[in-house]
Amino acid sequence: MASFAGAFASSHGPLLVREWEAVPAAQKERLTKAFRKLGRRLDAAKPDVLVVVSPDHWSNFFLDNYPAICIGVGAMNEGPPEPWMKAFPHREIPGHPGFALHLANQSMQQGFEPALSHRLRLDHGSCIPLWRMELERLPALVPMLVNSIEPPMPSLARCYEWGSLLRKAIESFPGTARIGILATGGLSHSIGEPTMGAIHEDFDRETLRLFGSSEKDLVHYLERELPARGNGSEEVRNWLVAHGAAGGRGFELVDYLPVPAVIVGCGFAAWRAQ
Amino acid sequence: MRDYWLSKLFFDLQSPQVAAEFRAERDRVLAKYPLEARVKQALAENDAPFLAKRTNAYLLRYYFFTIGMKDAEFVRRLNGG
Repeated sequence: MASFAGAFASSHGPLLVREWEAVPAAQKERLTKAFRKLGRRLDAAKPDVLVVVSPDHWSNFFLDNYPAICIGVGAMNEGPPEPWMKAFPHREIPGHPGFALHLANQSMQQGFEPALSHRLRLDHGSCIPLWRMELERLPALVPMLVNSIEPPMPSLARCYEWGSLLRKAIESFPGTARIGILATGGLSHSIGEPTMGAIHEDFDRETLRLFGSSEKDLVHYLERELPARGNGSEEVRNWLVAHGAAGGRGFELVDYLPVPAVIVGCGFAAWRAQ
Repeated sequence: MRDYWLSKLFFDLQSPQVAAEFRAERDRVLAKYPLEARVKQALAENDAPFLAKRTNAYLLRYYFFTIGMKDAEFVRRLNGG
């Protein structure tokens, strides 16, 4: 059967690209190191397939139909549609229909009902971390888009359960593929709200601490705190999927720094495969 | 509350072609969307708090970015400044 190659998490944010030159030199250097360090760890895990758990920033879905969860089951996905992501080196990104459909089938059998897409546009949420990590080789990607943009959103507990389900799907997938997970988004930030620009470092640090503790405490903390910590903070759902896949164990912080120039509390983390 | 057509306008303006058309012929683009008069007025006045009540915050930010407003000015307007 396939094996779990580990889970990884990284913040994203348009200003990491659009306003990169405005980031103070010391923070630029630290961000670059953090992305590269995460990339080296991901390379070392040698995943054949990478499940990228990210929000959809209105690149695929609109109010006509905004799924809570969508799994990309197609053979090919598209690179980022944002004009300012033109320099991203991949305009098309191979998927892995075999594992994606296995995940979809397992989900349905377990009472989870994701939306499916045979061709997705992978926006900056997925592509900034993939780009900045400077991976030696881009694995086949299975996009898993989790709504953390337009309320109502899937519950935090459900996102953790999705991670557990993902792990079961990996370990029941025939063959010898190594399958990793990359969660993107968070930590605290506020977009298009009166509080836009606010970074809650206290919230970020406590969230990171709780990733190393019990998932129940983590979920309870997030349920209580998220409504007051900026809408972008809702993307921590993706980290919860990764955490669930890791069985709530093995969390290691790679780096955290609040970066006002990109208006994001930037977090980087990995979960040991165990 | 979500104003579907206002949100649709903002969503569509993510397309560089639509954004260019909007900058060149704003009224022609607006005419494609059945917007209420008060909403059209809010767009004309860059009334961010009014618009914020009717759409998703990310879409709102995209819109003001598309029309060339700096984030600092956008936030100032959002806060009623």
